[in-house]
Amino acid sequence: MTETTTSKSISAPKSGENTWLWLIKILTGPLLLIILAIHLLVNHFLGETGLLTYADIIAYYRNPIIPAMEIVFLATVVTHSLSGLRGIILDLKPGRDVLKIIDWILVLLGISAVVYGTWLALTIASSGA
Amino acid sequence: MDNNNNQPTPGKFWTWFNPIGRQTGGWAFILNRITALGLLFYLSLHLIVLGQLAKGPAGYDGFVALMRNPISIIGELLVVAAGIIHGLNGIRIFLTTFGIGVTLQKQLFYTLMALALIIILVFGLRMFTAA
Amino acid sequence: MSQKWNITLKVSRQKAGETPHFDEYKMEVDPDEYVLDAVERVWAFMDRSLCYRHACHHSTCGACGMRVNDVEKLTCITFIRDVTHNAGTLKVEPLRNFPVISDLAVDMGSLYSRLEEIGARSVLPATEAEIENPPSKWDPADQQYIRLADCLECGLCISACPSAATSSDYLGPAVLAGAQANGLKRNPELLEIVDTEDGVWRCHSAFECTAVCPSFVDPARRIMNLRSQIIKERFGNLFRKA
Repeated sequence: MTETTTSKSISAPKSGENTWLWLIKILTGPLLLIILAIHLLVNHFLGETGLLTYADIIAYYRNPIIPAMEIVFLATVVTHSLSGLRGIILDLKPGRDVLKIIDWILVLLGISAVVYGTWLALTIASSGA
Repeated sequence: MDNNNNQPTPGKFWTWFNPIGRQTGGWAFILNRITALGLLFYLSLHLIVLGQLAKGPAGYDGFVALMRNPISIIGELLVVAAGIIHGLNGIRIFLTTFGIGVTLQKQLFYTLMALALIIILVFGLRMFTAA
Repeated sequence: MSQKWNITLKVSRQKAGETPHFDEYKMEVDPDEYVLDAVERVWAFMDRSLCYRHACHHSTCGACGMRVNDVEKLTCITFIRDVTHNAGTLKVEPLRNFPVISDLAVDMGSLYSRLEEIGARSVLPATEAEIENPPSKWDPADQQYIRLADCLECGLCISACPSAATSSDYLGPAVLAGAQANGLKRNPELLEIVDTEDGVWRCHSAFECTAVCPSFVDPARRIMNLRSQIIKERFGNLFRKA
């Protein structure tokens, strides 16, 4: 007799408020589009060669708006990509406990990345002085 | 049965990218997932490499000199392409989610990807001539 | 004037405990017949052990869903001439993401029980049914007019959905579409069911469901609309609490 699944009914609502996570993903998206466009255009098209040398970058960072924008860029892209990664990981159907651990790892990764990037941006901005 | 009797096998992640039988939206899904993972990988590398900037001109300019070869430039162009494709496809997802253009999602996809192609070509041209 | 084509039907065969394999049947068909007719011909004249489902033969019951050349179709309305050519091959497989009972027949139990749990209605009053060209204003008396829901419960959408391919816990397009047709205003208890990891947020906008739906349900649009309903509910709650 073939094994047939007993009617698999509605799974219990899982923990985790996915509305918010998804909203964060979809709202950081357009913001990223704008900042990424600026980022790509500046890096490739600014001046004669774009930002290709150390000196170019230091000069570019002298305007305080730039490190501010780059930090916002970093925070946004880290949020968007790690929430997206979590969505992809969900397709692997990890168990609830494994998922909690993964969530923590993602949060830690995200915070470290933003902290590191902020430090880096401020370092670059100040070395132009 | 190792195929779980025709039922979902979550661990077989390569099935995410199986294009057989898929239609326009399915292709968009595959593209979005590939570019997402590629960009994540690149982002980590990028953040680490940029750390070189803190070490002064020698470290960073040395690295840039290393990257001024056709293969690296093609690699970087792929990254730019991934970013543009993912971003424009994201516009389609954003619009359809909020109820705009749902019935036109195929056309939306084609138009956005055509736009992506143009932008990628522009960047490619620039990257190869400026190097 | 009816033509005669010679085609090879490649049918997926799988009995209990076996790995699936393909059997090939050479046959003469009229290209204006349907794929289901070809499958039936195999059963009637060539191989009585072939197992498949069929009922109404006019796209109302949803029983005959199969994958034809890797694409989900209702075989009773799929012309042979649209999916192969003379001297060509026609591949027929069962729907994906449902356990196979025998050959082309799959266990649709999970779909049916979920539809029941969300209270999917098979008959809707015309005032709620999203018909084409509705009057600008419904008359209260119009409530008496009823309409069969579009969804045939055929399962093609679940077979085509890439998210359903990763998890049998995902509610799936048909169920979410059914929940949307009820609406969160009418059935607020549905909020707890659809606003979950295995509910609307699992959809990745592949639109494969809408692409294969034979009955104009447009599940993808309904899932998007359901998301809007959920967000309105959640945000509405935020303001109501304050």
